[in-house]
Amino acid sequence: MELGTRKILDRSFTAVGVTSIVLMALALLVVIVPIFRGGIAALYFDGTIEHRKLQYDQFGKGDPDELSVQIAETDRHRSEAYRFLDAFEREMEGMDAETAGNYRPGFRKVKEILTHLLGPLPGEQEPILLRFQYGRTRWEKAEETLHDLLFVTKWDYSNPSEMAKEYFVPRSDEFAGTALAGLFPYVEDNLRNMLLPEPTFYWGFITNKSLDAHIFGGIWAEIQGTFFLAVGAMLFAFPLGVIAAIYFTEYAKDNFFTSMLRSANSTLAGVPSIVFGLFGLAFFINTIKVSESKSVLAGSLTLAIMILPTIIRAAEEAILSVPKTYKEASLGLGSTKWRTIMTVILPAALPGIITGGIISLGRAAGETAPIIFTAAVSVGATIGIADVFTSPTPALSWNIYNLASEHEAANEIRHVQYGMVLALISIVLLLNLSAILLRARISKKLKG
Amino acid sequence: MADASIKKNSDIFVVSPEKLRRQRAAKFIGEGFLLAIASFVAVVVLFIFYFVAVDAVPFFQERGFAEFFTSTGWYPADDPGEFGALAIIYGSAMVTIGSALIAVPLGIAAAICLSDVLPFTVRQYAKPVIEMLAAIPSVAYGFFALVIFAPLLQNFGGTILMWAWWLIAGPFVLLAVIVIADVLAARVATESKERSLRTVLTLLFGIAAIGVLYGVGRTLSAIEILSGTNALNVSIILSFMALPTIVSVSEDSLQAVGRELREGSYALGATRAETIVKTILPAASSGILAAVILGIMRALGETMVVWMASGNSSQIPDPWFNYLESIRTLTATIAGDMGEADQVTGSARYHVLFAMGLLLLIFSFISNFISERIVVRQRKILAGE
Repeated sequence: MELGTRKILDRSFTAVGVTSIVLMALALLVVIVPIFRGGIAALYFDGTIEHRKLQYDQFGKGDPDELSVQIAETDRHRSEAYRFLDAFEREMEGMDAETAGNYRPGFRKVKEILTHLLGPLPGEQEPILLRFQYGRTRWEKAEETLHDLLFVTKWDYSNPSEMAKEYFVPRSDEFAGTALAGLFPYVEDNLRNMLLPEPTFYWGFITNKSLDAHIFGGIWAEIQGTFFLAVGAMLFAFPLGVIAAIYFTEYAKDNFFTSMLRSANSTLAGVPSIVFGLFGLAFFINTIKVSESKSVLAGSLTLAIMILPTIIRAAEEAILSVPKTYKEASLGLGSTKWRTIMTVILPAALPGIITGGIISLGRAAGETAPIIFTAAVSVGATIGIADVFTSPTPALSWNIYNLASEHEAANEIRHVQYGMVLALISIVLLLNLSAILLRARISKKLKG
Repeated sequence: MADASIKKNSDIFVVSPEKLRRQRAAKFIGEGFLLAIASFVAVVVLFIFYFVAVDAVPFFQERGFAEFFTSTGWYPADDPGEFGALAIIYGSAMVTIGSALIAVPLGIAAAICLSDVLPFTVRQYAKPVIEMLAAIPSVAYGFFALVIFAPLLQNFGGTILMWAWWLIAGPFVLLAVIVIADVLAARVATESKERSLRTVLTLLFGIAAIGVLYGVGRTLSAIEILSGTNALNVSIILSFMALPTIVSVSEDSLQAVGRELREGSYALGATRAETIVKTILPAASSGILAAVILGIMRALGETMVVWMASGNSSQIPDPWFNYLESIRTLTATIAGDMGEADQVTGSARYHVLFAMGLLLLIFSFISNFISERIVVRQRKILAGE
């Protein structure tokens, strides 16, 4: 091969390597950036008067005087819209039965959309479900609903070889020449006055409980459940892992039995997470019955055996990285092996062990599969510390799945899903980041 | 006072038989305790095998092996129900192979880059990025696949495939043209004519290659993806998740190759690419193989992404390599069906899910065993034993 070609090959080889690294960084960005953007929208958005009403009614937050002033103002603009409805209803009474019957389904639809937008119409009885008691709490949702009000969605099936295409027809065409025709431009022009959107930082998203299956409210129950599960898992796994690591590094002899134990460790690390869930169900719940059915305790135990190998490995590495001279000095001064381990090696290895622990904590917080059968419920209240032995809990990871795939209004509450994912990712990445920083400090310290 | 303290201290050195016995007993108990804790992991592994198997065996006793492994009819809710898992096993294999096809080349290239190409300062920052990729919870990847990536695939699938083909295959095809022209010219022509012949060949092949690239790209862009929740989506996201494992384990084994091999190769006049391909990769090959096995196992054992984004239809795609159709995997079936299975009395439906779990467990055990053997052997070879 010619030297020039060899050089080109060499350069392109470097390029491939660098590209692959860049691609991985890009993959990280591609995943994180949209989730971050969507998640911020759960916390910071244009909240409407309905949002403030809800906050005041359900959580007692907000200034009642200012709220009543604003409600009076919106009512003034809303009454105008309702007047169009009344006028049309009176007009319908004057029509013959057939024409009125033709208008009726369309009119019912208009009323329904208006209820979505502004809350129950005057004179209607208060609905029981919370989701029907309020109008749009978020401005961008209100704009979507306004589009629904102004346009009828139709599908074009004319080309049989392609998928049907969506197109929109103005709804006002349907009511041209009637008293209702004026409603559409009026609502379009006055929506802001009817809903009074204001930029809102909704901290309550993190600290409030969820209302009406996450259609309103926050995610406190999930955050708390995640905390219980992850910390519970650490309580079991951390001491066991550190003791096992001490045995492996300081006491284990190099024989068949030890190598068997080590392979058991790596086998456990390779077991698919869903199998831990099966095991937790079969052993903790069905066999030894740590609780009647799903519970935080069963979930924590399952998570604990899942993160145990990681903790053992991290602790082993931390203990092995303690300089040998420390140990020799301690033994040389006449202390016993056990005392050396407890007073010299462990304190020196502790930051490293804690780093491993923090990473495992993040992993336990993020895992879903092991807690599906052992600890997680889709919608639930916050539980007290005393309930952890008997009752299951909602958890961030499981509820992300549940809201995105199984919730009846999955498309309506995207912002809640994004907010949950952001909360989970922030928890896990913050834990990891602190571990990385801690590790950097330790390696600097050990270098001197 | 002084006497007493001397006497007390000297106790340490004067070892009475009784004290010696007590010390030995304490040592024995202490070490036994440590050993017991360390064996706990082994006990847990045995327990997992035992309890998953105990609930899986009744299914095979009742139904035999044939239906489970050869039928594609999956109607667990019927009475008596049909439990053919072939399509589900096939779906698992499909996404595993698909993600491996993406993650293995990318991962090995990244590992080589990290260990031999990039300067140390860059490596310092690249490693945490890769670790971050591993730290993101699987359900977040699942959410991304379902809510963000699936609609993208559905709406712009053909365009995405076309650009991916051009950007990824393009440079490689052009590179191949240069190399082939070089080799052919060197073989056919004498030294004086070689240069001009090579230029002509490069141009000719280059035009042909661009034609092929463009043609395939057009064909890809015409593809319409009916559903974004399909095997391709899952494979891409799973490859993100397998990458960190592959990169970090491969990098370790590349680092384990000694300096003298690299220096020997450079001394013989090899370029960096030749050194890596012909010297370092063969030396580290078994370690890389172990990394690949571990990465593949992560993809096979992953639950949330496949559950959320695979479409969950238990059928073998038509044709069998069609990655644009929905599939169903073992892990997703276990996670999705357990809610409906009767967990207390233990119906056939409950037991079949444990049978799937057992299958996964056996796979993971075998692959873990193999990769461990490989790593041990490589360590021995590199240490020169």
